[in-house]
Amino acid sequence: MPRAVRGLLIECDPSIKSMILKYDEERHDYIVEDLDDENHLVIKESQLQNLKVRLDQDLDEKIMQLDESESE
Amino acid sequence: MASATSRPLEYLEGLPGTTFYKLYQQPSTALAIFRRMLPDLAKCFVMAVLYLKDPLPTADLEIWVNSESKKERDNALSILGRLHILSTTLTGENVRAYMITNPFAASLRQALTGAEDSHSFGVFSQAPEHTLTSIANLDEYARRQWEGVMGYMVGTSALSGQRDTVNLSKGVKQLLQAGHLVEIRGNRVDITKDGFGFVLQDVNTQVWHILILYVESAEAIGMDSVEVLSFLFLLSSLELGSSYEKSHMTPNQLRTLTDLADFGIVYQEHADATRFYPTRLATTLTSDSSALSNPVTGSLTGPAGSSGGSGSGFIIIETNYRLYAYTSSPLQISLISLFTNLKYRFPNLVTGKITRQSVRRAIEMGITADQIISYLLSHAHPQLRKHSAAQSSGKGVPASVLPPTVTDQIRLWQLERDRLRATAGFLFKDFTSLAEYQAPCQYAAEIGVLVWKSDRKRMFFVTRHEQVAAFLRSQKFEKQETRSLGVMDTGKHVTKSRPMAFYTAT
Repeated sequence: MPRAVRGLLIECDPSIKSMILKYDEERHDYIVEDLDDENHLVIKESQLQNLKVRLDQDLDEKIMQLDESESE
Repeated sequence: MASATSRPLEYLEGLPGTTFYKLYQQPSTALAIFRRMLPDLAKCFVMAVLYLKDPLPTADLEIWVNSESKKERDNALSILGRLHILSTTLTGENVRAYMITNPFAASLRQALTGAEDSHSFGVFSQAPEHTLTSIANLDEYARRQWEGVMGYMVGTSALSGQRDTVNLSKGVKQLLQAGHLVEIRGNRVDITKDGFGFVLQDVNTQVWHILILYVESAEAIGMDSVEVLSFLFLLSSLELGSSYEKSHMTPNQLRTLTDLADFGIVYQEHADATRFYPTRLATTLTSDSSALSNPVTGSLTGPAGSSGGSGSGFIIIETNYRLYAYTSSPLQISLISLFTNLKYRFPNLVTGKITRQSVRRAIEMGITADQIISYLLSHAHPQLRKHSAAQSSGKGVPASVLPPTVTDQIRLWQLERDRLRATAGFLFKDFTSLAEYQAPCQYAAEIGVLVWKSDRKRMFFVTRHEQVAAFLRSQKFEKQETRSLGVMDTGKHVTKSRPMAFYTAT
């Protein structure tokens, strides 16, 4: 029997997807369905804000930024 | 230009046909729609068909357009249809033909070739003027009021202690709040994300935005929105620098007039004056030439004392992300500071640098990279324009006014924020066979709700599920019926909603 599941389709880079998969491993509270291709998955609607904040935080920490000093 | 027309156009398209019928009774409305809302090709069509006695066969109209411009033709025809200007009928020989719908055709003919005086384009004030109001004064008034509204939204009053602050009426504040451009918490005014987008737009777009909000809220305060809308079109066709009679206007029109005076769209000496002046904000509303809106932008944004004219821009950006803005307007400075790290402020100049942080800050507030770039572009200093013109002369492609490194980088900084794209909807899965999966999937694509599919996993994602679910159900019935005919199944496949089908089939 075909089923319909409510959720948010997320489209992102493979790197971002693997981060989301890692978050989900902790408590399995993000992902509705892993769509098994490189850049798609379906997550719970209520988790989007939470996910965005977490991603931004982690990315800010992990990605090296070029010198932002205000040398005039 | 495109952004300036799209919003009023979108709003108009959403109106029911009967509203158009009422609107097009006024020649001024018909002319304003014709001038402002139609692409050039659509204007050609209207002008060609307008004075024809009989409907023009569709094939005849279609041969006017080169076959390679089919897209433009279809676009023009679709806009004319959506605005209820062009309709198709059948001629005597049963040929499909175009004609201009009636209230519009009559009104436009009247607007173009004149007819009995219907007050549709306003009545010039005949009374002798004791105080002459010049165009410069009107521009100054419009600038002060409009900048007052913007300043109220951005909260510049703290920044500009010495400036005479404009007293905004309660209606203006309520309208801004109702349009979700600002939120009022106690005494504090907080600008919203929509508001940020709004303040960075060009003046013409802003005025339309406000006016559409006004029309939408008109019903709530007991006015007929069609009457208000057609009055706005009337205002837009008035002449700058002339004064008009108020005596024959309806109470609702007078009320609208007073409200619009708060925004600087019209000017009247006091609420009981017998005449009013449209300002440039009103008269450029439906003018087709975008150049006309520049003098207002210029006088709104240019250095104090300049009365507009050709050199309206004041921002210089270098390829090293430094920004120089020749302005002393507190409003413009606070707008620039939304996405720039400002460093120094001189009497007529502020300088700063666009950095990753400053752009990210802006994007977090809800401003988009495109809004920043279009703001920079519309306020670019004449020197930048001259430079790009000199660069592009001789070459085929025009050089961009802003340094491409800067615009590209602003877009990249925005992309950095948007690492994922989310679409709400429904995932259909667990199909038992490929055939069972393919039909609904194809159906979803046809009705335009399909976002993603995987043939291998037999799953697909749609934005709306109702129609697809109905499709699946209807398919199931078909299958059950055929199956029950063949195998004489026991009743276990029968769904509650259609038991009869099963029994009659057997």
